[in-house]
Amino acid sequence: MSALLQVDGISRRFGGIRAVDGAAFDVEAGSITGLIGPNGAGKTTAFNVISGFLRPQSGTITFDGNRIERQPAHMIARAGLVRTFQIPRVLTRMSVLENVQLAATRQPGEVLGAALIAPRAVSRREREVRDEAMQILDLVRLSRLANDYAGTLSGGQRKLLELARALMTGPRMILLDEPMAGVAPTLALQLLEHILERRARRGTTFLVIEHDMEAIMAISDRVIVMDEGRVIAIGSAADVQQDERVIEAYLGRREAQPA
Amino acid sequence: MAIFNAPFWTFVGVIAGIYTILSLGLFLQYAMAGLPNFGHVAFMALAAYTMAFLVIRFGAPMPVAILAGLTAAVLFSLLLGLPSLRLRADYLAIVTVAGGEVVRYLALNLQDITGGAIGSIGMLGPSRLAQYNTGWDAMLAGFSRVLRPLFGALASRDFAMLLIVWAIALVLLGLCWVMVRSPWGRVLRSIREDENAAAAVGKNVFGYKLQVLVLGAILGGAAGLLLAYEIGVFSPDDYQPTFTFYAYLILILGGMTRLWAIPLGAILFGLLYAGTRFLDFYPLSLIDSGARAFLRLWAVGLLLIVLMAIRPQGLLGNRRELLLGR
Repeated sequence: MSALLQVDGISRRFGGIRAVDGAAFDVEAGSITGLIGPNGAGKTTAFNVISGFLRPQSGTITFDGNRIERQPAHMIARAGLVRTFQIPRVLTRMSVLENVQLAATRQPGEVLGAALIAPRAVSRREREVRDEAMQILDLVRLSRLANDYAGTLSGGQRKLLELARALMTGPRMILLDEPMAGVAPTLALQLLEHILERRARRGTTFLVIEHDMEAIMAISDRVIVMDEGRVIAIGSAADVQQDERVIEAYLGRREAQPA
Repeated sequence: MAIFNAPFWTFVGVIAGIYTILSLGLFLQYAMAGLPNFGHVAFMALAAYTMAFLVIRFGAPMPVAILAGLTAAVLFSLLLGLPSLRLRADYLAIVTVAGGEVVRYLALNLQDITGGAIGSIGMLGPSRLAQYNTGWDAMLAGFSRVLRPLFGALASRDFAMLLIVWAIALVLLGLCWVMVRSPWGRVLRSIREDENAAAAVGKNVFGYKLQVLVLGAILGGAAGLLLAYEIGVFSPDDYQPTFTFYAYLILILGGMTRLWAIPLGAILFGLLYAGTRFLDFYPLSLIDSGARAFLRLWAVGLLLIVLMAIRPQGLLGNRRELLLGR
């Protein structure tokens, strides 16, 4: 396997705070990689930088052989690297189905005036998009709610809808930011199954931020641990659990603990 | 004035048609893409002034002047949008409010070009009366002659104008309807709901915002040209900021996200605004006409408040959508 995503020494400061401070790691194509670390470790900031929502102040990011650290978010998504948000960003006054349809690629009807000039091509693709969107909604068990406003969904359902939207873009790699937080345990389990199944069937690569250690240890091929903006350990789930620095990051330094 | 006054109601109908076109521009910008444009009236003013200036000073043919007017509106929208559209929506709101007023004050103070406070009629200086609408009036006269066999005595110049304005309005409504129902419209609505979510699935948010800003400017410009042709003389006073808010009012009255509610809202607004002129019966007849004019605006405001209290979603609006708004 080769690295699909290479993050090399990225930094991002907010005022005096170094949210990400020279973080570097690779993500293998077709892998499921966990990104863990205590609160404030810089995981979400790293996601924002990788996905183009924030510019890094230094460092390079290479996706599929192309440098992307200066590209805008929508170009990175089009290149096949999509992300979800920690607090789901659903389009509340649009239907659940529309939320997913939006993410379709190669829809010529998104060009201004195309619906007037080439209505046939637009509606032909639109039928495909609709079928595809319904299939994906089936997968995340939201098809029953397809015509409801997304604003009526629960927090957990919104997480699933975000995943559905990300899948709809047909991405090569998905960055999931706490996909299981706030999701009911049975749904969370389904979510993990979707991730594993998608990887198995399409070879999709996942980088997952998650606080549910059991889940992350169960599905990840490798785990990256961040603390204070840096990567402090990379390895298998079993390895990082034994790592001194990781234990320190989570529990504090040994000498600081009462005997 | 008698309540059954054909020329008066024809005028109200023409204005409602012009408001429909104006509000359609805001519909695309605000109701679809979520761009708060509070200076829409500037596009009207710029198109009207550019068209009139070219005709009066250079004798430009009507189609050229019309195209130039629309182009001016588009260029102005780019001037406002290019620096502010990458920022949060609030910045566009501020920029457009200011932009609208800048245009009006320029028109007021660049006397040599605009005719200053007296308006278009003074574009050739105080000694000569300037006219920009001879071409349009000739076209209207020709059109009303064509209509005479069909409509008889009804086929006045005003009636011809009414048909033209509403034909343009309906065609534009139809085109926009097809576009907003298409995937293009879906992207616009996603930007309104959450532009980061739209960007996260690969939509070029800035590009779409620029597209609707320009389309809105064209529609605003078209409304401005038609209004200029309808009233024959215009001055900076015709482009008060309230004009923009009337267009918002029409969207709210009809039901914000419903395209076909726009003509309905425009007609309702026209009726409210013009119809209250006829509140001159006893005991209102005891008040002098100046005071009655103020009372009228007060009555319009009250009616609007009552309407909104009874039906906050507007005539055709969707209440659930309103409640889901963040």
